[in-house]
Amino acid sequence: MRGPSLAVKGGILLAAVFVALKFVLPLLTAPLPMSLIYLYLFLTIIGIVVYGTLSGESTEALLGPIFRFLSGEGIGGAVKSARLAVLVLFPLLVGWQTYGGLAPNTQPPAESRTIHPAPPGEFVGLSNPLPNTPENVMMGTGLYAAYCLPCHGPKFNGNGAASDGFNPPPANFADPGTIAMLQESYLFWRIKKGGVGLSVEGHPWKSAMPRWEVELSDDQIWKIIMAEYAGAGQKPRTWE
Amino acid sequence: MRTVPLRYRAAALLAVAVGLLWVAPALSQETVVVRAKLIQGEVPTDPAAPIWNTIAATEFPMSPQVHWQKRIGSVTAKSVKVRGVHNNKQIAFMVEYADPTQDPADAAALEFMVGDKKAHFAHGQPMGQVEGGPVNIWYWRNDTPAAADMSAQGFGTLKKQAQQDVQAKAVWKDEKTKVTFKERKLSLRKDPKGEVVKDPQTGNPIVDEDTKVAEQEVSGVWRVVFTRALTTTDKEDVQIQPGTFPNVAFAVWDGKKLESGDLKEAGSQKAVSSWWYINAEPPPDYSIYLYGLIAVVLAAGVEFVIIRKVKKGQPA
Repeated sequence: MRGPSLAVKGGILLAAVFVALKFVLPLLTAPLPMSLIYLYLFLTIIGIVVYGTLSGESTEALLGPIFRFLSGEGIGGAVKSARLAVLVLFPLLVGWQTYGGLAPNTQPPAESRTIHPAPPGEFVGLSNPLPNTPENVMMGTGLYAAYCLPCHGPKFNGNGAASDGFNPPPANFADPGTIAMLQESYLFWRIKKGGVGLSVEGHPWKSAMPRWEVELSDDQIWKIIMAEYAGAGQKPRTWE
Repeated sequence: MRTVPLRYRAAALLAVAVGLLWVAPALSQETVVVRAKLIQGEVPTDPAAPIWNTIAATEFPMSPQVHWQKRIGSVTAKSVKVRGVHNNKQIAFMVEYADPTQDPADAAALEFMVGDKKAHFAHGQPMGQVEGGPVNIWYWRNDTPAAADMSAQGFGTLKKQAQQDVQAKAVWKDEKTKVTFKERKLSLRKDPKGEVVKDPQTGNPIVDEDTKVAEQEVSGVWRVVFTRALTTTDKEDVQIQPGTFPNVAFAVWDGKKLESGDLKEAGSQKAVSSWWYINAEPPPDYSIYLYGLIAVVLAAGVEFVIIRKVKKGQPA
């Protein structure tokens, strides 16, 4: 029994690659830009054409159904209707793409902000020099209440009374995706240098996080870090 | 009773789904962009001009300024509603916010990035790893007849520009307006017997937080209209090209005099927002429809040639 022709198999492969890149991949990692998806689809088509034209027989298997579909000879029923739909829709699609490319953009530019950009080398691997004692945590909690609570909130969840107007919003320390996946040295960098210390991918021009090195000593910052982990019920990430 | 064929019902459902996909981004975008509508004739400089009632407002939440010293804990303006219009030469923005009292030191400002470099929203202060640019600030204060066209690139650099291009007119009305804001309540968790529940690990009482969006009716509204040419000859000014998305931020000061003699909000103690966007509606360009039509004709022509060629060379 004959299976689907090479052209149909190629079409299925192309559709599968598109679905995988567009819908499945974003479930695992960051979504790909459409320009990259088009590039991968183009490469897939090249691969299908190269494979399909290796011999005269495979060329016929690849191009024969396409030619018959286009010419309309020897087809009927649903395939005939599909052919008519393709022939009508193709020029309309080209027209729509042209219009879309020329029409003025009504959306603001996309912002792909990196939440946790890499810290400068001098802040990598630093250890908290202070012992994690109840006294230090208590002092850190007091400092947190005075300096951090208005934005990050009494529940350490970024829901402080001063947070509403800021975009991006203050970090939610109770979320396992924030300080729980970071080392203490990372927090030390972010608190000490503030939003303006971020690299370009962190969009420092939008961050309201103060540069606390102007007002707090290093020891005070380390104590605040202890208090944030304790208050949010999290533990710093370690390499062990 | 006649029933609608299944294929028509499916087509209708599909049309609704496509329509929703189309409309959803348009609805969501209005929380981040001030759309300045293109109008014919003069732009309104008067906050009471009827045209403002026909322009949709975009509302932006405001925060107390906590980024640098001297900070403030809470502010009067919880949000600002901003409308915009332009006539391809002049642009006008109306900033509306609730303020129960009219005071001489009441003030509002718009801030824009200038040039291609990103500027920090706090007066374009220097950034550690990014070379930032300057900001242009349009400032109005109730007891000052003229608006101020200002520039800054870092704290302590704010200055009035040599060339003043901005005008402002404001009206305070003792009318009622509704203000929405987040209301936060903390309470100690209690068991059914009324006893405070403690964390089994730390022994500390467990505190619950209840946050909800509340609405409050306030008497007193400021409406401030800023106007300026879309583009100027001043290099320190933001240049607004229709169709583009320049960044904008807002600031509001409640200049109410406290019993101590101090102003409730002044200087760095103010309500602020982060960066958002403005978009001056571009003039209609009908040529894009023509180009779309040409593309349809060309594609159909190519299709015709290919099919003809295929039919001629069709293998038996």
